[in-house]
Amino acid sequence: MKTEYHPLVKRLLDGELMFADLPSELRAEAEQALRWVAALDRTPVVLSARLDERVMAQVRRHAKSPAGRVWRWLLGSREIDIRFHVRPWAALGLAAAAAVAFVVVRPRFETAALRAPTYVRFIFYAPGARTVSVAGTFNQWNPAAAPLVPTTSPGVWTTTVALPLGQHQYVFVVDGMRWVPDPAAPTVDDGFGQRNSVVAVAAQDGGGRAL
Amino acid sequence: MRAAEPLSDGEVVHAILTGDVEQYAVLVKRYRDRYARYAARMLGSPDAAEDAVQDAFVRAFDQLAQCREPDKFAGWFFLILRNRCFAERRRSHRDARPLGMQDEAIAGPDRSDRHVERAEDRRALERALERLTPEQRDVFVLKHVEEMSYEEIAALTGASVPSLKMRMHRAYDRLRALLKELA
Repeated sequence: MKTEYHPLVKRLLDGELMFADLPSELRAEAEQALRWVAALDRTPVVLSARLDERVMAQVRRHAKSPAGRVWRWLLGSREIDIRFHVRPWAALGLAAAAAVAFVVVRPRFETAALRAPTYVRFIFYAPGARTVSVAGTFNQWNPAAAPLVPTTSPGVWTTTVALPLGQHQYVFVVDGMRWVPDPAAPTVDDGFGQRNSVVAVAAQDGGGRAL
Repeated sequence: MRAAEPLSDGEVVHAILTGDVEQYAVLVKRYRDRYARYAARMLGSPDAAEDAVQDAFVRAFDQLAQCREPDKFAGWFFLILRNRCFAERRRSHRDARPLGMQDEAIAGPDRSDRHVERAEDRRALERALERLTPEQRDVFVLKHVEEMSYEEIAALTGASVPSLKMRMHRAYDRLRALLKELA
């Protein structure tokens, strides 16, 4: 039994074609597809009036917790006003020292600025899988962005992804449906009751290194 | 005298990050219902949507300092809510029941003869949507319930238009197969 829609019917559903553009042999299939889409429930959903109170109650608790305050202090931006009182001859000395430091240290900064992303190889054992991909913070959790390919070893899949410096969370997506953390990597709570694997890319001379 | 203009999202975020926590209520009020229908269609019920929206707001508050473009708070909040919906779908997928064993009361109260066929279609479609992957359901809901263009979805989610189309077209085929199974 045929279960795929004709590409022209898909384009009709996408709004790229009109019904009248379709050849007559596709119209029954298209009518059925349009009937299903028309049946969708598009009723607006209004949440309960107490939602705001519940959110704010939780937010106030989080704001008061010492851990929350420290976390926001570390991550938050703030304006800092720094003033120096120096004599003119000392200012000239400081300027000269800064110029020397700039010449000596600049190459290192340039290296850091131009540092290429680090290539991290992901390996996953999934015997019997039809497709495997890796989805994470580095590709907006898009399972189509980084597919793994099977290696010559049965059941072993791999791919290489360019990652910037920093910590990244990810999971493997098996057959487009099962989201599985990497058994070979540390995990963290994703905040919703599941575990995400973690890979950290640290700075190293001339590039990065996956930890 | 000119009435005071409402604060922009960026100004509200700045106020919160500098200690005025109560300003967060402004953002909650502004965006509480904007993505409620998306969450309800992703998770299958308004109650589940309400839990998801609440969790997402609290999580957004905890991570507010990481919001790189505070004036685009709404889009950033949507990504947190979407992530929450995906996590919920992933969790419920593990416990998914086979087709035909789903709850019967999805179609709503409309029982007039004229609407029976539509209600049956809707019920079957809801059951079939339950079986899509979270990514397929996500793009289907954004396109056909929220009625967004592929370009708008791409701007919101960061995915490319070709990858969204591919996901959508796979969803169409999967839905067709599931609806035949249910017929």
